Amino acid sequence: MKHTLILFFIALSTSSLAQTAHLSGLVVDENKSPLPGATIRLQPGKLAMQSNRIGRFSFTDLAEETYTLIVSYVGYETQNISLTLPLKEHELSIVLKPALQQLDVAVIEGDRLALRKQEEALNIEVVGRSFIQRNLGGSLMKSMERLPGISTIGIGSGQSKPLIRGLGFNRVVVMDKGVKHEGQQWGADHGLEIDQFAADEVELIKGAASFAFGSDAIGGAINIKPAPTPGKNEVGGSVNIIGKSNNSLYGTSVNLFGRKEAWFFDARFTHQDYGDYRTPTDRVYVYDYAVNLDENYLRNTAGRETSLHLNTGYIHDRFRSTFYLSNIHSKSGFFANAHGLEPRRVDTDQHDRSNRDMLLPNQQVNHLKLINRSEYQFQGHRLAMELGYQRNYRQEFSQYVNHGYMPPVYPEALSIPADLERAFDKHVYSLNLRDELILGRHELTTGTNVEQQSNKIGGWGFLVPSFRQTTAGAFVYDKLRLSNLVLLHGAVRYDYGHISIDPYVDWFTSEVTTDRGPISERLPRANSLSRTFNSFVWSAGINYNRNRWMLKGNIGKSFRMPIAKELSANGVNYHYFSYERGDPELSPEQSYQADLSMTWKEKKWSVQLSPFYNYFPNYIYLNPTAEHDYYYGAGNQVFEYTQSKVVRFGGEIQLEYQLLKSLRAQLLGEYVHARQRSGQKLGYTLPFSPPPSALLNLSWSPELGERLQDSYFSLDYRITAAQNRIVPPEKKTPGYQVFHVQAGTTIHIYHQPVTFSLQVQNLLNTRYLEHTSFYRLIELPEAGRNIILSLKIPVTFKKTT
Amino acid sequence: MLLLLAGCGNDQEEIDEVYPEIILTAPDAFPVQCSALASGETFTFRALLQDNIELGSLSVDIHHNFDHHTHSTEPTDCDMEPVKTPENPFLLIRDFPIPAGQRAYEVSFDIAVPADVDPGDYHFMIRLTDKTGWQSIRGLSIKIN
Repeated sequence: MKHTLILFFIALSTSSLAQTAHLSGLVVDENKSPLPGATIRLQPGKLAMQSNRIGRFSFTDLAEETYTLIVSYVGYETQNISLTLPLKEHELSIVLKPALQQLDVAVIEGDRLALRKQEEALNIEVVGRSFIQRNLGGSLMKSMERLPGISTIGIGSGQSKPLIRGLGFNRVVVMDKGVKHEGQQWGADHGLEIDQFAADEVELIKGAASFAFGSDAIGGAINIKPAPTPGKNEVGGSVNIIGKSNNSLYGTSVNLFGRKEAWFFDARFTHQDYGDYRTPTDRVYVYDYAVNLDENYLRNTAGRETSLHLNTGYIHDRFRSTFYLSNIHSKSGFFANAHGLEPRRVDTDQHDRSNRDMLLPNQQVNHLKLINRSEYQFQGHRLAMELGYQRNYRQEFSQYVNHGYMPPVYPEALSIPADLERAFDKHVYSLNLRDELILGRHELTTGTNVEQQSNKIGGWGFLVPSFRQTTAGAFVYDKLRLSNLVLLHGAVRYDYGHISIDPYVDWFTSEVTTDRGPISERLPRANSLSRTFNSFVWSAGINYNRNRWMLKGNIGKSFRMPIAKELSANGVNYHYFSYERGDPELSPEQSYQADLSMTWKEKKWSVQLSPFYNYFPNYIYLNPTAEHDYYYGAGNQVFEYTQSKVVRFGGEIQLEYQLLKSLRAQLLGEYVHARQRSGQKLGYTLPFSPPPSALLNLSWSPELGERLQDSYFSLDYRITAAQNRIVPPEKKTPGYQVFHVQAGTTIHIYHQPVTFSLQVQNLLNTRYLEHTSFYRLIELPEAGRNIILSLKIPVTFKKTT
Repeated sequence: MLLLLAGCGNDQEEIDEVYPEIILTAPDAFPVQCSALASGETFTFRALLQDNIELGSLSVDIHHNFDHHTHSTEPTDCDMEPVKTPENPFLLIRDFPIPAGQRAYEVSFDIAVPADVDPGDYHFMIRLTDKTGWQSIRGLSIKIN
C-alpha cells in the first residue's frame, strides 16, 4: 500500500522532462537521535525545507548536476556538503555536531522560523524569546502588538487580551503547552493569565483555525510554547530584572533548570509589582463629569502579579513525558473614578496618598494549571497526549452601591461579603490525543480533543449564570508534499458540544406590575437551559515556494458554540447602564474564510502581502436596542444578543529593505473592514474594530567588536488612522502618531551572554486614545512616556563526559 | 488585492451616528442640576428631547445619593449634605411614553414625591435612546426637602 502511494505520487509529480534525480536524507545528532526541524538548503536552485519529525527530508525532480547542501540547526555546527546527483547511496546520513560557539543563533533561528511559515498554509507569525525581550510590554499580548494584524483590548497597564484582525474574546483560542487556556475569555476588563517570561516561542495563527483547535478558533489562535528541554548533563538558569518608569514597575523572573540523562526539571518564579500609571493629561472626562488627576496618575490602577512554574519530565529514546505545574496570581485595581462606565466620586485624599496601593474597586485572579504532555514514537508514528486541569478563579471587589431595586443598605444577613461584586470559579479538564504518521509524502495527523468545564458564580452582582459544558471533537489532517515546490493541506473535523445552564434568582425583590397591581418579588434571572451543538468543519490549503516566491492560500469553514452569556444573560450590567438579554435559541456561529499570502524575497528587500476575506452567515453580537426594560432591566436600555450576516476583509503588508549591511527599514501595515449585512445594525461595523495602522521601523545592528554582540538601535514610528466606523455605544476615535525606541546588546561575561534591553515607549509623551481599550468609552488616554530597562543574565553549565 | 477592491464597492447603506439629545436649557425645564423637590408634593418633569431620525424610549430613575457615589454628568457641583445611612429613600424607576415617529418631543409629566421619604441628596437620571440604539444619559444631582 505504502509503495503504491509513493509510486502514485511520483507519477503525479514527475514531469516528462529530462533526466531527474532524487535526494533524500536523514539528519541526526552525535547519538544518532533524529533532529526534526533542521533547515536543509540546496544550492543552486534556492530550494529549502525542514527535516520532518523523524529527521528526514527529500527533494525530488532535481536536475543531474553538482549541488551544495547546507544543513543547519540551532546549537549545532552548520554543515556544507558538496555532492553530484545522482548519488550512489540510497539515502544521505548527516550527523550534526554540537556547536562550541553559538554565534549564528539568530541567523539559524530566523531561517527556521521563515521555513516554518513556508510549510504552513494558514497565515502565521512566529516570534521567539528575543522578540519578546526586545518588545516587552505590560503583558504578553501587549508585547505581540507590534506584529501586523494583532491588536489588544487592554485595561490599565498590566493586562490585555488579544484581537486578531479585529476578532477577540471567545473568537481567539490561546493554547498554552498544548492545552487550550480557559479563563474568562468573554470579559473585556481583565487580561490573559499568562506569564510572558515563561513563554519561549509564540505562534500567531491569523484566520479561521477551527479544524485544528476546535470551537472558538474562528478568528485565529495563539500558540504559546514553553522553553525547550535542557540538554543532557546541563544545569543552568537565568535571572531577568525589569523596571519601568511610567508605572514604577519592578519585577524579576528567576529560572533554574537541570538534566542528567533522562530526568529533567525546569522551575521559574516571576514577580512584578507596579503602581498607578500616568498619562499626559491632568484631567479626564468620565461622561461629562470632569475628573482631576493627581500628578497625571490614573488613581488605583496599580497591581501585582506572581507566577510559579514547576516542570519536570522524563526523556528516553522514543518516549518523553513532562508535567507542567503553574500558578499565576494577580491583583489589580480599576480606575477609581469610574468602575465600568459610571462616574464615581472618590475620596481623593485616601486614593492619592499612595500610588502603589489597591483600594476598591479591584480584582483578583488566580489561575492554576497542571498539564501532562507525553509522546511515544514508533515506526513513523508519533503518539501524543496532553492531559490538563485548570482552575480559574476571578473575584471583583467593589463598594456596594444599590442600583435599580437593590435595597438601599446591604443586608447583614446575606452570606456574600458586601464588597464582593462578582466571582467566577471555573474548573476545566482537557484531554488531547493525537497520532502523527509519516507515510511517504504524506504527514497524516488524526486526533481528538475533549474538554469538560464547570463554572460557578458568586458575589452580589449578576451577569452570567453558572453552567457546565462538555465539548469533544475529532479531526484528520493531511499534509502532502506534492513536489519540492508544492505542499497541499486538507483537513476535516467534527465537533460535539453540550452546555447546561443553572437557574439563578435575584437575592433582592423588584417591583413588578401585574394584572392585580404592583407586587414585589425576587426575579428569576436565568432559567435552566440545556443545548447540544454539532458541527462539521473543513479546511484546504496550498503552499508554493519557488526561488524568490512564497505563495500560500487557504480556504476553510470554522465554527463557534454560543457561550453561556450569549444564551442566558438576563441582568443589568450596571457598569454600562445596560440590561443584557441572551437568546437561548442562538445557533452556532459559522465562518467561511479565504486567506492568501504572497511573499517576494530579493537579496536586499522583501515584500509580503496577506489579504483575507471572511463571511459569517450568523455572527453573534450584543445589539443595543431602542427599548428600556422596567421588569428585569430596572429602567436600563435593552441590549440583546442577536445574529447577523457579517462580511470582513482586510490584510497586512510587510515591506523590508536592507539599506546598508547593518541598517534595515521595515514597514508593517494592517487593515480590517467589517460590515454587517443584515439585521438591525445593517451597514454598521462590528464592535472593537481596530483602525488601519502602519508601523515604520528603522533598525541599526552594528558590529561593536567581540565583546558586544547582537547590538541594535531601533526606532518605531506608528501611524494609526482615526476610527470613524463605529456601532453604538462606541465613540469615534481620532488617529494618532507615536514613537517608540528600542536598543540593546549582549555582553559575554565569563562566557555567559548577558542581555541588556532598553525601550522608550511613547517617546514624545503623546496623548492618544486607543479605540480598542476597555477605558476608551470613558476617554482615558493611553500611558505616557515609559522607559523600560530589562536585563537577562543566563548561567549555563554543561558537563562534558 | 482583488478581494479588497471587490469588498469596497457596496458601502451604500446610510448609518445613523447621532446621539439623541436631552435639552434642559429652556426656562421651564425641570428638574435641572441642583434643583430641589418637596416631599409630599407633585412636580412636573419638563425637558425637550431631540433626535436626527427618530426618538426611541425615555427612562427616569430617581435614587438616593446619601453615600455620595455620584452619577452626576453635569459640570457644576451642588452643595452636598453629609453622608448618611438611608432608611426610607425615595426610589422611582419608570418610563414615559414617546409617541412613535417623533424627531422632537416636549416632555411634561407629573411625578409625585411621597411625604414619608428620607430628605437629602438624590440623583435624577434621564436615559434617552433613539431608534438606532444610541443612548444619552443625564445624571442630575437634586435634593428632596
